[in-house]
Amino acid sequence: MNYGYWLAQADGISDRVRRKLVEEAGSAEDVYFLPERSLKMLAGETVAERLLLAKKNDTEADYVRIGAAGISFLTPEDEAYPARLRQIFDPPYALYVKGRLPVRPDKSVAIVGARMCSEYGRVVAERLAHCLAQKGVCIVSGLARGIDAAGHRGAVDAGGVTCAVLGCGVDVCYPRANERLYGEILDRGCILSEYPPGTQPRPGYFPQRNRIIAGLVDAVVVVEAKERSGSLITADLAIEQGRDVYAVPGRMHDALSAGCNGLIRQGAGIVSNIEDFVRELGVWTEGEQKQSAGENLSLEKEERLVYSCVDLRPRGLEELLQKTGLSMPVLAESLTGLLRKGVIREVFKNDYIRQC
Amino acid sequence: MYSIVSTAIIQGIKAVPVSVEADVSSGMPVFEMVGFLASEVKEAKERVRTALRNSGFGLPAKRITVNLAPADIRKSGSGFDLPVAVAVLGALGCLEGAELSGFFIAGEVGLNGKVQPVRGVLPMVSGAKERGISRCIVPLANRSEAQLVTGVQVYGVESICDAVQILRGEHWEEKQPAESSDRNTGEARQPDFADIRGQYLVKRACEVAVSGRHNLLMIGQPGAGKTMLAMRIPSILPPLTESEQMELSEIYSVSGLFAEREGLMRVRPFRAPHHTVTVQGLTGGGAVPRPGEISLAHKGVLFLDELPEFLGQTLEVLRQPLEERCVRLVRAYGSFEFPADFMLVAAMNPCKCGYYPDMQRCRCSQSAIERYVGRISRPLLDRVDICVEAPPLAFDELNRAGDGETSEQIRARVMEAWRIQKERYRGENFSHNSQIPAESIRRYCALDAEQERYMEEIYRRLELTARSYHKLLKVARTLADMEQSERILMRHLTEAVCYRSLDKKFWERG
Repeated sequence: MNYGYWLAQADGISDRVRRKLVEEAGSAEDVYFLPERSLKMLAGETVAERLLLAKKNDTEADYVRIGAAGISFLTPEDEAYPARLRQIFDPPYALYVKGRLPVRPDKSVAIVGARMCSEYGRVVAERLAHCLAQKGVCIVSGLARGIDAAGHRGAVDAGGVTCAVLGCGVDVCYPRANERLYGEILDRGCILSEYPPGTQPRPGYFPQRNRIIAGLVDAVVVVEAKERSGSLITADLAIEQGRDVYAVPGRMHDALSAGCNGLIRQGAGIVSNIEDFVRELGVWTEGEQKQSAGENLSLEKEERLVYSCVDLRPRGLEELLQKTGLSMPVLAESLTGLLRKGVIREVFKNDYIRQC
Repeated sequence: MYSIVSTAIIQGIKAVPVSVEADVSSGMPVFEMVGFLASEVKEAKERVRTALRNSGFGLPAKRITVNLAPADIRKSGSGFDLPVAVAVLGALGCLEGAELSGFFIAGEVGLNGKVQPVRGVLPMVSGAKERGISRCIVPLANRSEAQLVTGVQVYGVESICDAVQILRGEHWEEKQPAESSDRNTGEARQPDFADIRGQYLVKRACEVAVSGRHNLLMIGQPGAGKTMLAMRIPSILPPLTESEQMELSEIYSVSGLFAEREGLMRVRPFRAPHHTVTVQGLTGGGAVPRPGEISLAHKGVLFLDELPEFLGQTLEVLRQPLEERCVRLVRAYGSFEFPADFMLVAAMNPCKCGYYPDMQRCRCSQSAIERYVGRISRPLLDRVDICVEAPPLAFDELNRAGDGETSEQIRARVMEAWRIQKERYRGENFSHNSQIPAESIRRYCALDAEQERYMEEIYRRLELTARSYHKLLKVARTLADMEQSERILMRHLTEAVCYRSLDKKFWERG
């Protein structure tokens, strides 16, 4: 029987109380076998009653069932419980893990940011995750839309390790749009959560899971965040827990960079260049330099003109028509040429950015 | 004594002949009307009796029976008053020497004997002409539309007395209706494409859409000028042919909208119903249906602004007319067909706040965006071939002088494209690229090996469906026709790809 699982399943007890009980009794097993009187003395009337009530449930069957579903269960007593997480102020007592938890001691970085991000933010998050993952850094994020998903995506594409912390059960894929990513993360890393399998997402759970994200990593990078954003909660928690906080700067009137620029004003590190950031983390290895696309490519005259008008901010067709002065058929043909050469990307219908 | 008068009733936009028979005999003094009458027609007897007395024709204490034949068609509308009055006068012997059978008569009368205008005079008069009637008495206010029918003598009457004078063959001087100051509304300046600054992409898309008669959807932030652009589309459509002008005038006559226009409908209509329009308002409705917005937009443009705000049900009803170019309504009293060969132009914001996909300004959540777009029915979207974005205008462009081409220049090119299509589809039952049926696509939109490869790549990359793939080819065909190119070239395909319809994929970003 897994006593930790029993303790985790007892309703109405906070993680703090659970940790205290285990600390004072010695282990979850000791708590389980404490005589009723000592339990009441140790934990107080209400908590003791709740624990006794939980004994009546068949928690063992549940435990076997989640094990069979490929979900492992960890408490701070377990060796495999992430070391960094033990150090934080309020470590979760129970941790459900689907997939393979990265082996310690590795570097890990959280990439977090807005759900409704701009294309620029998406590209930066993806590139950053890609570079870091190539250097063996584990990318931790929350599997939300936008920046979170782009971070995971970059790591997965680089063949690196990534870890998603959910605000629902590990067997629940939320949002549904990230279902494919969910599967790919499982192949390369793990999904974890402090909520039992089957738990549906609730607004209150997400700030809670942010403390786990911050707890798991050496550094948190906020890529894009509005003035009041959940990512800023993650950044605050990271500071409380003594992690480094970095922000990707943005233009001063961009709503999606207001949060990041605010962090920088408060003293967060700046990610102004991906390579510099990787060096700062101490995982830089001199080696292959990625050549920037486009410069040594053979482009047609019109294609070169169109390419020069495209950058990391999405450009619409109308804008390109005006900037290049080309006619619609010529522009369409040049864009298709550039698309097929892989130097630009269509991020939204008729919105193009440079591929990098 | 017995008399008979010819009139007509409007069914759909066609006139069905109706005879008004009256008989006066001795017996109980009753005025009786029979012949499957709607209540407004039954009321005619009160109006007629009083109007006749006030015009100086007192009814004798005799039994008056009026029958409206054929008896199996329900008679509705107010146009029977004048024919009933004339038939009664005829039966009373007040119109000695009159050749009633040579006249067509329609009109409503007031209690003072004045004749009021009625709807549908134009199709009634042209129907009468087909039956060999050459003289028509219509309300003065409807005279101008009746005169559009050539070879018919039209009398515009103001009162019952006028009609009696005409029928008796007495000297009667026709009043000229007050010359309206804006007689030349048809030649008034139409909105012109030259007024529009910037928006090269949308202007181009409008030209492409009109050239192949494709339906068009514009997506853009509030204030980008979508409505302004849509209003100018009729100005680049080729001029109406004479029979189209006549058909359109008939529709407007039946709707009672003719008087506003004066003269034949020479300008293609532009109809922009508000998004609260009902199904009946759009397709036509009523116990005896009248033309709806889609028929009023016949041969012109039906503009649906704020497309997602329209009720789902109202948009669904557009599907059949878009395919068949007419709308058939079935009522208890029969089925009615209205022409509805319109070009659909729709406009919408990309999301509720209007700024998506500019994430720096859009305040909508992903689910809100999906909900907003989800309101448009997929089947309707499937019938839109060209979809284009209208970005907001930059300030410096606003101040730049209008540098664009005039509608006249664009229209010349459109007419050329139409001519090419007409020639190509001579033996077919369609005449524009947008109407190529699926089985003929390969024949008219042939691709070479390299183009096939490209389209295969596009098909996969954009996750197209068979229908959206065909739409791309049809638009490419139009682009080729605009350049008078026999074959579809690569640049036509690549441009067509830019005009592809909204795909679901783009609204769902991870």
